[in-house]
Amino acid sequence: MNQNPIDRTRFEAIEAYVLGSMPMDERSAFESEMTKDSALRAEVELQRENTLAVELGAMERTLKAMRAEHAGLAEPGSAGWTNYLKYAAAIAIVLSAALWMLTRPSASERLFAEHYTADPGLPVPMSATDDPAFHDAMVAFKLGDLAEARVKWSTLLQAEPTNDTLRYYIASAALAMDDAAAAIPLFASVAADPTSGFRTKAQWYLFLAYVNAGDIAKAKGMPFDDEPTYGERVREIKSELR
Amino acid sequence: MVRQYVQKNSGTAADAQDVFQESVMVLWLTVKEGRFKAGQDGEAGGFLFRVAKNKWLDTVRSAAHRNMKIVHEDRTSEVRADVPDDIEDRIVRLRGVYEKLDDKCRTVLDRFYYERKDLATIATEMGVEEESIRTIKYRCMMKLRALRRTIAGEDNLGEL
Repeated sequence: MNQNPIDRTRFEAIEAYVLGSMPMDERSAFESEMTKDSALRAEVELQRENTLAVELGAMERTLKAMRAEHAGLAEPGSAGWTNYLKYAAAIAIVLSAALWMLTRPSASERLFAEHYTADPGLPVPMSATDDPAFHDAMVAFKLGDLAEARVKWSTLLQAEPTNDTLRYYIASAALAMDDAAAAIPLFASVAADPTSGFRTKAQWYLFLAYVNAGDIAKAKGMPFDDEPTYGERVREIKSELR
Repeated sequence: MVRQYVQKNSGTAADAQDVFQESVMVLWLTVKEGRFKAGQDGEAGGFLFRVAKNKWLDTVRSAAHRNMKIVHEDRTSEVRADVPDDIEDRIVRLRGVYEKLDDKCRTVLDRFYYERKDLATIATEMGVEEESIRTIKYRCMMKLRALRRTIAGEDNLGEL
């Protein structure tokens, strides 16, 4: 580990990452940097440990201070004991709340689960001979073999990088696999293409992908509220996003 | 429950408080590190009691307490299963890091990292400029960062 102090801007970026307060787009870039920079990974781990040390120390200090406030605890049944039990109950509540916060779905996770239905895919004709590789992947997609479908379509996309159908379905498979980060740029490219027949559906799934990723600012920023098919649901979700 | 158990096994109310406090720390760190197995062995309260019980049994069995009598030693071998092995060592190590901080650092860092107050709020509470709090926080965390070299050095010496 480098013992020279890191500059304050760098430290605060690492701190924001560890505390989970870094904006989504910066977070992606930061994580990308981490994959290439072992020194940065070490700094992040160190910051995580130091934050934990402070939290633990602060909690212990709080517990001791509260205990000191309630002198006379040695005698069960005394006022001190009653206060101590109240304090113990308060800690139990705080811990229970912490557990609940850790395990409960966030508002965006709940909204995504409520509104997301995977794209049903395209019909695969029995005598599909015009594009067998595409249809083979579509069969895998419909059977729920999402990783297989994704790989097969991604191979085809290399030969046809502007193909909106491939982009749309690779993104659909990615989102169905809960990989919103991979789905977002693909849906975004189709949603921005006014000539694509998948444009409206891509906008809807892009919106849901942002919800899934917890990128509330981008979800709320999508001008999709008046779209005839999805507008009502978009407005409803936006109203519940915090 | 913790108090009852400790007092039935030769402990005092103060012992019960010590054990309870230590057990809360174990529960907190286990949850914080994502190692609490919810749904496997009951809720947090059950976990807390099992940790407290084991801690007190360890105390009772220690050399200083050999004359104490254990009346409630049931299922002691299985109750340790859901407590990560290294969690006590982690607490000692983290506590050692925090203890190196001076009071000023602890006050600012506690409020920012533990109470999750923003810099402006801390500045108002302490009657100083927000920029000063930001600088203090940075310097204190750099002190902790520098300490790691010392701690790492001590560990290496300990392994020799």
